[in-house]
Amino acid sequence: MEDFQEQEYEFLRRLEEEKLDRRRLLKRGLVAGAGLTVMSLSPAALAARQKALADPPTIGRLAKVSDIIKEAKKEGRLNVIALPPDWANYGEIISTFSKKYGIPITSDNPDASSAQENQAVRSLKGDSRAPDVLDVSASQAQVGANEGLYAKYYTTNFRKVPRAMKDGRGFWVGDYWGVVSFGINRAVISNPPKSWKDLLKPEYKNKVALNGSPLSSGSAVAGVFSASIANGGGLSNIQPGIDFFAQLKSVGNFLPVQATPQTIASGQTPITIDWDYLNIAYGKNFPASKIQTVIPSDAVYGAHYCQAINATAPHPWAARLWQEFLYSDQGQLLWLKGFSHPALFTDMVARKVVPNALIKALPSAAAYSKVKFASVTQNSKARATITTEWPKKVGS
Amino acid sequence: MKPRRRIAPGAVVWLLVGVAYFFIPLAATLLFSLRDDQTGKCCTLANFSYILHDPTFWKTIRLSFVVALETIAITLALLVPTVYWVHLKVPRLRPLIGFLALVPFVVAPIILVVGLLDIYRGSPEWFYASPYGFLATAYVILAFPFMYFSLDTGFRSIDVHTLTEASQSLGAGWPTTLWRVILPNIKAAALAGSFLTLAIVMGEYTIASLAQFNTFSVFVQYINQNKAYPAGAVTIIAFAITWAAMLALLAVGRGRTAPITEGEK
Amino acid sequence: MTPSKHDLSRPAPAGRERRRPSFAWLGVLPFLAYATAFLLLPAANVLIGAFRSPNGGWTLDNVATLFEEPYRTAFKNSIEVSLVTALLGGLLGLMIAYSALREGTPKWIRGSLTTFSGVAANFAGIPLAFAFIATLGVLGVVTTFMTETLGINPYDHGFSLFTKTGIEIVYLYFQIPLMILVIAPAIDGLRREWREAASGLGASAFQFWRHIGVPILMPSLLSAMVLLFGNAFAAYATAYGLTGGSIGLVPIVIGFFLSGDVLDNPHLGQALSFGMFVVLGLMMLAYIPLQKLSSRWMR
Repeated sequence: MEDFQEQEYEFLRRLEEEKLDRRRLLKRGLVAGAGLTVMSLSPAALAARQKALADPPTIGRLAKVSDIIKEAKKEGRLNVIALPPDWANYGEIISTFSKKYGIPITSDNPDASSAQENQAVRSLKGDSRAPDVLDVSASQAQVGANEGLYAKYYTTNFRKVPRAMKDGRGFWVGDYWGVVSFGINRAVISNPPKSWKDLLKPEYKNKVALNGSPLSSGSAVAGVFSASIANGGGLSNIQPGIDFFAQLKSVGNFLPVQATPQTIASGQTPITIDWDYLNIAYGKNFPASKIQTVIPSDAVYGAHYCQAINATAPHPWAARLWQEFLYSDQGQLLWLKGFSHPALFTDMVARKVVPNALIKALPSAAAYSKVKFASVTQNSKARATITTEWPKKVGS
Repeated sequence: MKPRRRIAPGAVVWLLVGVAYFFIPLAATLLFSLRDDQTGKCCTLANFSYILHDPTFWKTIRLSFVVALETIAITLALLVPTVYWVHLKVPRLRPLIGFLALVPFVVAPIILVVGLLDIYRGSPEWFYASPYGFLATAYVILAFPFMYFSLDTGFRSIDVHTLTEASQSLGAGWPTTLWRVILPNIKAAALAGSFLTLAIVMGEYTIASLAQFNTFSVFVQYINQNKAYPAGAVTIIAFAITWAAMLALLAVGRGRTAPITEGEK
Repeated sequence: MTPSKHDLSRPAPAGRERRRPSFAWLGVLPFLAYATAFLLLPAANVLIGAFRSPNGGWTLDNVATLFEEPYRTAFKNSIEVSLVTALLGGLLGLMIAYSALREGTPKWIRGSLTTFSGVAANFAGIPLAFAFIATLGVLGVVTTFMTETLGINPYDHGFSLFTKTGIEIVYLYFQIPLMILVIAPAIDGLRREWREAASGLGASAFQFWRHIGVPILMPSLLSAMVLLFGNAFAAYATAYGLTGGSIGLVPIVIGFFLSGDVLDNPHLGQALSFGMFVVLGLMMLAYIPLQKLSSRWMR
């Protein structure tokens, strides 16, 4: 939507709210810019424009929450995609939202990658099964925004989200972040590694696994970033990370298996490089495996995921309600319960609304203080390097 | 050499090797699935119970099974007459059909589904959004190579011309010839192809997930990515159920008219 | 034996209408129509896409890139794995199928084998990968057994499940059953009478196989192995689950392009598919003369 359209809606909304009629408005001299076009319309066209007010809002702050809830309930459903229940506590988030507003949620394809989410938007355009909201990686969010797949929406709390975690145009907003960590199966490993350097020790032969391949999984790319920071590289130079994995492979410690809950619980992948919120969750779910989550002492690399609304969503009001819910304290705390750092974490801590128990469940704040995030440009550059260098050095 | 009444020793060796190779990994999975969530040790049926009490499990298995049967029916209806005709009248076309039958391998499922979704986007909802329409159509394509090669081998090992001539000289028309003479003779091949199709449909993931259909394999993948011990359980259950379905198909196939040539054996 | 179907000079039998070969191909029209609508059109989409560039123009760059690393290695790996598992799977499948179908073997073995093969032929992906990790992985059942009971740890002697060899071992799990299913009807066609007649004439088992058995089976064997090759070439979920993509195989790389989060040139993914098409096409082209050669025995 263009800016002048926004102003138009604003104008028409005020018109309706204040129940002004045309003549009085003209007298008040409010006729300027967009207002002129509205004023010069025939009554039929004006009625059409007012009907267009029924379009979902762009700026959450200016809409009435009760309106959003009402329209969402009328739509009667929300389609989500790629939200596994044990990922940052999405299971509870989905059921809480459903119960609170009485809107059933269809959770499709929980294992879709971010690219597949964007593809679903393209392929299912106009279909009632298309996803309404997306939770995608930052790079895919950029792809989707540039391609026009997303709708503009500024949630009520948009201003409070850190600048680095949101899109100025309103197409996406960061939701939660985590850092790369080691998930260590203490039932198999008696002496846990504390840093990337430790991973090269001979006692960890055939024991270190990644969560997927950096050629296709953003989480695995994050793992390489973290290794790079620990080995003299940085956000702008990911080569040392690739070299580290090559070295890990040559000493025989690298296990090229895709780590899944099965391999983790069974101990087949005793050291897994993955997001902290996932590893901590594994610790809770598999007590027998005694999964301990360690943030490497020589590198703290984090990344956030992004919320976006499908531009051609079949249930646009419900989609906006979902966003409002997620960015309310209730939604943010549910993400925290899933061991991730929600976008408004700092703000909530400052307002002292975070229960102590939740803070204690995470590793200490000191460990997170050194966290580094890569920008979208740095990410793209790293991926280009990985594309050519990883198969050479680590593949076969 | 008199006809053997007892199994040949060479056969025993090979069969034992086969059994070892195929059952040990399954046994390993089974052992894993019997482990308890909290203690990580044997033995509990809780994981199986978890799967069997999940309503999504039943919903998706029913859906996949029906789509599989539909796919088998369509593929047989399409391919049996075609392969028969090719063997009988236009053997020159065999390489062409054979090549077409290999194309589904080349077009990776992921490409096929994106292409199909794109091209048929404007088609009516009852086709596009229905697993019994869109998905079955795509699965027929996936089944082509397997069904074709099975049928081709089957037709190759019977004498199509003689059978057809005999049947027609006895006064039968084409449909009768096809249904009552040819079909019973290629029963084994058709059944083999049907088994493969059933397994393909039950196990296919890419197309189902990208086209947003909630099939059994999507459910299995979800369990595998998100749960540990139940994943072992669902693997065993999926295996057992598909095998049972095949045994049922086999029984159904046996119940039909015996092939003509059996008398000669 | 009755005149074979390859003898086209046979006059049309009496009582039937005159041969009109020009209309015979109409019989395959339904199949062709279906294949065109739901297979060729999407496939053409891909092949054309392989020659397009991101800004909409035509280009040969994508296909040219296929000859560079890492794609060249991906093709090499894929072809190698597919060939090995096609040949090995073919041979092993043949031996097991024959063992189950020959006379002397109880009938129930045949039913169980064919149904089991039907299931196993499609047992792939993460469940299969995990089943083998649980068996031959670092902490697998067989590995532990060998280490503790036999004192030999295969991983200390250079074996690893997470290599090309490992992938081949795992792929056989669905290649062998596929072979069994496809070759069974052909073995059935190997009539018992022929073996009896051969032995009655004084031929040994070996001679029977060499002069009668194998030549008769050869066309079916060849087409079955082509099927196995194609099957292995297109498989990817299993290898990905096993090695996380560190062993490049063409379908895995295509998957990276089309549904992964990192690589972002879908046209290159389509070019890779085009490459697959060429490889399989060449295989089919080699298969046709092989077929003709081997069917000569039938005459």
